Amino acid sequence: MAASAPVAKPEGGAGGVPLPLRLGAAMRGSARRGDVIRWAGRIGAFIPLLSLCAIMGVLLFEALPAIRLNGWSFFTRSVWNEGTGYNAQIVTTDGVKHLSGSSYGALPEIVGTIGTSLIALVVAVPVSVGAALMIVERLPRRLAYLVGVFLELLAGIPSVVVGLWGAVTFGPFIAHDVAPVIARNMPDVPVLNFFRGNTGNGEGMLVSGLVLAIMVIPIVAATTRDLIRQVPILPREGAIALGMSDAQCARRITLPWVRSGIIGAVVLGLGRALGETMAVAMTCGVLLGALPGNVYTTMTTIAATIVTYLDTAFLDATGFAVRTLAELGLVLMVITLAANVGARLLVRRVSGTALPIGRGV
Amino acid sequence: MNHSHVRGTVSNPAGHPQGDPSVAPASAGPGRPPGALGAALKAEGLASPQTRAGGAAICTLGLTLGFQQRDVLCNIDLDVAQGKVTALLGPTGSGKTTLLRTFNRMNDMVSGYRHSGDVLLDGRSIWRSGLDTMALRRKVGMLFQRPNPFPMSILDNVVAGVKAHRLAGRAGIRPIAERHLREVGLWDAVATRLKDSPFRLSGGQQQLLCLARALAVDPDVLLLDEPTSSLDPVATESIEALIRTLVPRLTVVIVTHNLAQARRVSDRTVFLNRGRLVEHGDTGQVFENPAEAETAEYISGRFG
Ligand SMILES: Nc1ncnc2c1ncn2[C@@H]1O[C@H](COP(=O)(O)OP(=O)(O)OP(=O)(O)O)[C@@H](O)[C@H]1O
Ligand SMILES: [Mg+2]
Repeated sequence: MAASAPVAKPEGGAGGVPLPLRLGAAMRGSARRGDVIRWAGRIGAFIPLLSLCAIMGVLLFEALPAIRLNGWSFFTRSVWNEGTGYNAQIVTTDGVKHLSGSSYGALPEIVGTIGTSLIALVVAVPVSVGAALMIVERLPRRLAYLVGVFLELLAGIPSVVVGLWGAVTFGPFIAHDVAPVIARNMPDVPVLNFFRGNTGNGEGMLVSGLVLAIMVIPIVAATTRDLIRQVPILPREGAIALGMSDAQCARRITLPWVRSGIIGAVVLGLGRALGETMAVAMTCGVLLGALPGNVYTTMTTIAATIVTYLDTAFLDATGFAVRTLAELGLVLMVITLAANVGARLLVRRVSGTALPIGRGV
Repeated sequence: MNHSHVRGTVSNPAGHPQGDPSVAPASAGPGRPPGALGAALKAEGLASPQTRAGGAAICTLGLTLGFQQRDVLCNIDLDVAQGKVTALLGPTGSGKTTLLRTFNRMNDMVSGYRHSGDVLLDGRSIWRSGLDTMALRRKVGMLFQRPNPFPMSILDNVVAGVKAHRLAGRAGIRPIAERHLREVGLWDAVATRLKDSPFRLSGGQQQLLCLARALAVDPDVLLLDEPTSSLDPVATESIEALIRTLVPRLTVVIVTHNLAQARRVSDRTVFLNRGRLVEHGDTGQVFENPAEAETAEYISGRFG
C-alpha cells in the first residue's frame, strides 16, 4: 500500500483531478449507493411488519360489526345459525345489519383448532426429536441421507392429498381398528375421558390431529436434525467419558444444547397445524354449532369452518356472515401470534444457562 | 513454535525411517527396545509376564491400533503402575491422546477405528464381552485437552456424573459439588454463581470445572490430557499439587508437553514417538539417564 501510493497516477475520466478530490467524489458516490442499500434494507425490514398490520387492519375493519354484535359470547357459545332460512328478514341491531335469527358462537371452532393442534404436537414432537436423534447418532450415513430425503418428500405432499388419504384410508382404519381399543382402555378421568365413548366413523379430532401430526413431523424433524448436527462433539464426548449412556447424553447434553432451536421448530410446526385448512376440513366432519362429544366424533376448526362455510356466507345479503368469518380469521391470527409470543418467552426462560458465546475456549 | 522445535529434535534421530508408523521397522515389534520394559519390570519386581498385571493398574499387550488404513499406535506393551503418576511424553501427533482414549474405550466410537492386542484393567481385558462400558468409564475418568463444560449450571456440571450413576441422593449432591470444587481450587471463584452458566467462566476455570466433574464420580484411574495447557502458573502449580495428593489412591496418567511438569509431577515417564513406545522408566532415570537416543534427543532438545 504505502509503496504504491507515490506512483498512483490520475487515470480514467477523472484524469488530472488531484487524488484527495477524486477520493472525496468516490466516497460521496459510494455514500449515495450506500444510502440506497440502507434504505432498501430499511424498507425491506418493514415490509413484513407493514403487511402484518395491513392484513390485521383489513380483517379488523371487516370484522368490527361482527365483533360488536357477537360480543364476548362469541367465545363461549356453541351455535352457528345464519338466520331463519328463506323468509329471513334483514334487521338492524345496534346499527349492524344482519338476518333475523342469526346467531354465532365459535367455541367449537376454537376448541377444535387448539385440540387438533395439541394432538398433532403431542404426537409429532417426540417422534420428530427421536427421529432426528436417530438420524444423526445412530443411522449410517447413507441411510440417514435416505431418511432425510423421505422427510423432505413427506413435507412436500400437497395437503389436499394428505387429506384425501386421511378421509379415505386413515380415518376408517382408526375408527375400526384403533379407536375401539383406545376407547375401551382409557380410564374415566378428566381429559382422558375425552378418549372414551362412541368411536365414530373416522372423522374427528383424533384423525385430524394425527393427519396434522404427519404434516408437522417433517418440519420439526428436519429442523431438529440440522440443529443436532451442529452440536459440538466435545461436550458429548465429555458426557460419554463420564460414563453416561447415549440416552443420558442426548437428554442432558445434546437436546439442551439446541433447546431454543427446537422450541422454534415446534412453533413453526404449531403454526402449520393451527392454520392447516384442507387436510383438516376433509377429515374433521365440519360439525358447526356443537362441541364434539369426544375425540372420535365429528368436529370443526376455525380454518375448516371458514373454508367450507364461505360459499354459504356469501348468500347472506347483509354480509354479516362474512363479517363473522372475518372475526373467526382474526381469532385464528391471535391464537397463532399468542403461540409465537409464548414460545419467545419460553426461549428466553430456558436460555438462562447460556451456551458458549464465541470466545474460542 | 514449541511444536516445530520438538519436531526438529526428533527428526530422524537414529536413522529411523520418517513418517507413518505403519511402515515403522519391525524392531518396534515384540523385540522392542530391550532396556525399557525389562528395566521397568525389574524395578517393579515383576519380571515374569504372568505377574505383570499385579502392580499395574493398566497393562497393554501388543496394542496396535489405527483409524482406517493408518496405524496410529504400534505394538505398545506398557504397564501403568498402580497408584503412581505416569507422564506420557512425545512430540505432537505421536499418539498420546489416542493411547489415553484407548484406556476408557473412547476410541470405540470413532469411525474406522480398529485395534489388535489387548488392554487389561486390573488384570482383565477392557474389551471382554459383558463389560459395562459405562461402569468402565466411571472407573477410568478423563480430562480432555480442551475444556468441555456441559450446557447446564456450574453446580450441575460438577455433579452430572454423580447424578448419572446415582452415586448420591438429593441431599448429598451439593456437599459433593462443594468438596470437589474446593479440591480443584475453584470454589472461591464460583461459590456465589453456582447456578450460573459455565460458559461465562474463563478457559482455565472451565478446565478446572471439568477436572472437578471427573473427580466427583470417584474414579480409580484419571487420564489427564494436557490438563494445564490453558492455566496460569499458579493454577498449574495447584493442579500439580492436587495430582500428588490423588496418588496413591488413584492412578494418574498425564499427557504433557511441559517436560519440567512431567519431571515435577510424575513417578514414571513414558516416551512415545510416532506411535511406538520408545522408553518407559522411573522419571528421574528417564530424564537423567535415558536409555534411548530418541528420548535423550527429545529431552535435551527441550533443555537446550
Ligand atoms: N479419529 C482419527 N482419525 C484418523 N486419524 C486420527 C484420529 N485421531 C487421531 N488420529 C491420528 O493419530 C495420530 C496421533 O494423534 P494423537 O491425537 O493421539 O496425537 P497426540 O500425541 O495427542 O498429539 P498432541 O500432542 O498434538 O495432542 C495423529 O497423526 C492423528 O492424525
Ligand atoms: Mg493430544
